Amino acid sequence: MQQPNRLRPFFENITFDRDDNELVLNFGPQHPSAHGQLRLMLHLQQEQIVKSHPDIGYLHRGMEKMAENMIYNEFLPTTDRMDYIAASSNNYGFALAVEKLINVEVPRRAKVIRMLLLETNRLMSHLFWLATTALDIGAMTVFLYAFREREYLMDLVEDYCGARLTHSAVRIGGVPLDLPDNFLTDLRKFLDKLPENIKDYEDLLDQNRIWKMRMENVGTISKEMALDWGCSGPMLRASGVNWDIRKEEPYELYDEVDFDVPFSDKGDNYARYKLYMEEMRQSARILYQVIDMYAGTSPELMAHAPKFISPSKIEMMTQNYSLQQHFVLVTQGMRPPVGEVYVPTESPKGELGFYINSQGGPYPYKLKMRAPSFWHTGILTDLLPGHYIPDVVSIIGTTNIVFGEIDR
Amino acid sequence: MRAYTPKDDVQKKSYYTDRYYVAPQVPKFDVETDDVFAADLKAIKAKFKVSEAYIQVEQMVVYINPKNIHAVMTLLKDELEYNQLSECSAIDFIAARGGFEVFYQMLSMNKRKRLRIKFFIKQDEAIQSVSDVYRSADWAEREMYDMYGVIVKGHPFMKRILMPDDWEGHPLLKTYPLHGDEFAQWYEVDKIYGKEARSVIGPEIRDAARVDRYDTERFARLGHEVDFGAKFDENQAETPIKYQEDEGVFMIKKLDSSESVTITDRDR
Amino acid sequence: MAQHKIDFTKDGGLPVALTTIDNVVNWGRSNSLWALTYGLACCGIEMMASGASRYDFDRFGTIFRASPRQSELMIVAGTLTKKHAEFIKRLYDQMAEPRWVISMGSCANTGGMFNTYATVQGVDRVIPVDLYLPGCAPRPETLQYGVMMLQQRIRKEKANRSLKPKRLM
Ligand code: SF4
Repeated sequence: MQQPNRLRPFFENITFDRDDNELVLNFGPQHPSAHGQLRLMLHLQQEQIVKSHPDIGYLHRGMEKMAENMIYNEFLPTTDRMDYIAASSNNYGFALAVEKLINVEVPRRAKVIRMLLLETNRLMSHLFWLATTALDIGAMTVFLYAFREREYLMDLVEDYCGARLTHSAVRIGGVPLDLPDNFLTDLRKFLDKLPENIKDYEDLLDQNRIWKMRMENVGTISKEMALDWGCSGPMLRASGVNWDIRKEEPYELYDEVDFDVPFSDKGDNYARYKLYMEEMRQSARILYQVIDMYAGTSPELMAHAPKFISPSKIEMMTQNYSLQQHFVLVTQGMRPPVGEVYVPTESPKGELGFYINSQGGPYPYKLKMRAPSFWHTGILTDLLPGHYIPDVVSIIGTTNIVFGEIDR
Repeated sequence: MRAYTPKDDVQKKSYYTDRYYVAPQVPKFDVETDDVFAADLKAIKAKFKVSEAYIQVEQMVVYINPKNIHAVMTLLKDELEYNQLSECSAIDFIAARGGFEVFYQMLSMNKRKRLRIKFFIKQDEAIQSVSDVYRSADWAEREMYDMYGVIVKGHPFMKRILMPDDWEGHPLLKTYPLHGDEFAQWYEVDKIYGKEARSVIGPEIRDAARVDRYDTERFARLGHEVDFGAKFDENQAETPIKYQEDEGVFMIKKLDSSESVTITDRDR
Repeated sequence: MAQHKIDFTKDGGLPVALTTIDNVVNWGRSNSLWALTYGLACCGIEMMASGASRYDFDRFGTIFRASPRQSELMIVAGTLTKKHAEFIKRLYDQMAEPRWVISMGSCANTGGMFNTYATVQGVDRVIPVDLYLPGCAPRPETLQYGVMMLQQRIRKEKANRSLKPKRLM
């Protein structure tokens, strides 16, 4: 028989209605606009928040522990489930960190394909952000429109890797597959349409009175605060710091493509919204350039590093030693040298870093994922006080947090 | 005799390691090879004891004394322009050296450099919080405490962050099994239904290698739908995919697939 | 049109259909399955996608509600962690009878790839489940198919109140 009094939450010891007129409000962990499983304990004076206390960990799945018990290749699919809106960017972050550790260079075609994946993922993530935030504010039409466009990208990625959400489309040392036949033409078709679509969204939102009232001068993050809290990506750029890892510490082919990094010094929700829109345009611009790069590349997809990376299928089928090597790499895993790396990449949400400490074994000794959303949730502690309850939803919306990577 | 399993490190071990295998090192470079880092290191060395410093994969690593951490962080922020603390965590070396290695990953946007401050502490040693220098250390230190049990002094809100508050043990310690100890495995049952319910609900099935197609309690297959726990064997015919009952549904028009249109033009 | 002017002998006859109470009640229940949004992780995104423009769940009368009091179907989409387990139980208890649960994705079915200390190895350890959907993540089509299977099953059930409430224990 069920005993109802056993369900005693941790915050039971808080008196929810107090003498000093302070009300404690529990928000989440299962709230439709909490973007996952965020729990906020808000202390209120009338409608105004005086203290906020984000409580996370409701999606802690123990990924870092899993990493310590898995060989490097085995762990790669798990990274999909971190920032599941843009799975390939996590795959890529992890693969790049391991590549830095074992010091291999990826062939150019693989780089091009990775760039295509990274930027389509960025578009997917931003479209998803727009859809959900608009839905939270009440703009249902934008939600439907943005999801429509996102489905096209999903189809494209599905054509490439076979999965809609959990791609695992990058391997350590390259990419597993070449692009399918119509990928580039389809992508180009989509990109040709994209400016129109973005304009549609902007027409609906930019001058929309409700949208402006809920966005402008709400959730203003100053430059110092953003830096102090370890913000990165659009959160930091909206606060007036022009810092994009793609530009400042270029990886892959970002130093060969031409793009602008938008930034704003307003720091409020509206600035972040404008920033996301502009970043979508820039992503499209990058994609156009990368599409043109594809044609001239030689068809290798995986780096040649027999100690760490399995040989190609043809070699495996024809050379005995390659087959043996592959067998060892699959069953025992590669053994990177002793040492440690921290590799930051610019994921759609911000600085996604992987810290790997290797002690020479086939399992990472310690793997720490620096997920941008973790810090963007932390900033809610200082950001929310002073705001009103309805603002909470729009602020959470524009921070663009994803719980897979906060709790890991 | 029961097989011996080491208790101080229950992480998965490779089943075979060549006896003569000497793991290579990721190359370390002298700090003098980089002007910016050399200047930074000089500034740190002027005030504090640095036991080791080198450059590895384009980032400088500096080992300091754990007592100086707060002062070093202040120096880095105020004078050396390291304006962000991007990550901070610990590494468990209890089995090998009896303590933790703590690292602070720093970023300077003006210099475009990344730096890692590291130090070693004994297992029961506490460290000084730097959350008043960098606010981001607030949550990082809480996570470090949650995952490793490293006590941080002077922290404004030292509580677990990822695990529930009544959790026992620190999951990222090497002594903590991946599948959790007994407390962890029964946590939700104990909490919701009480310990008495353990026998009714039964233990978790943790064998990842178990694959049984005919297990209808733990696996579902599309096109082979059966009831929960029903018997299901090799000869069972595939269940045809049906969206409606054959005899039709009360008040609902029967789906006629010949009437439906497939849109092939993706450009609308 | 005034009521007395309707000629029931013409225009397709009387606006009356004869049926059983069971049929009527189940018709109503199966075609207005309001689902409690229980997006926990990646599968929740696929659940949202099925509610959005391309897959359009509203066609089946499945509307996502944010309140357990207004919904009779709980789609558990994603990884249930130990920290969250008590809340799912609490929300399930708040739903009115009759209620159904779809466990979407391998995480919700068995813990999936997360065979770790922090993950509940299947939501059926906490609440009773009616339908398990395989996949990581199941496609929206799978969810649609699952909901239609559930509708078929509901139509087979008896509508009366003597049905025992579903309890894990
Ligand atoms: S089943 Fe797969 S996609 Fe679904 S929540 Fe689990 S890991 Fe994510």
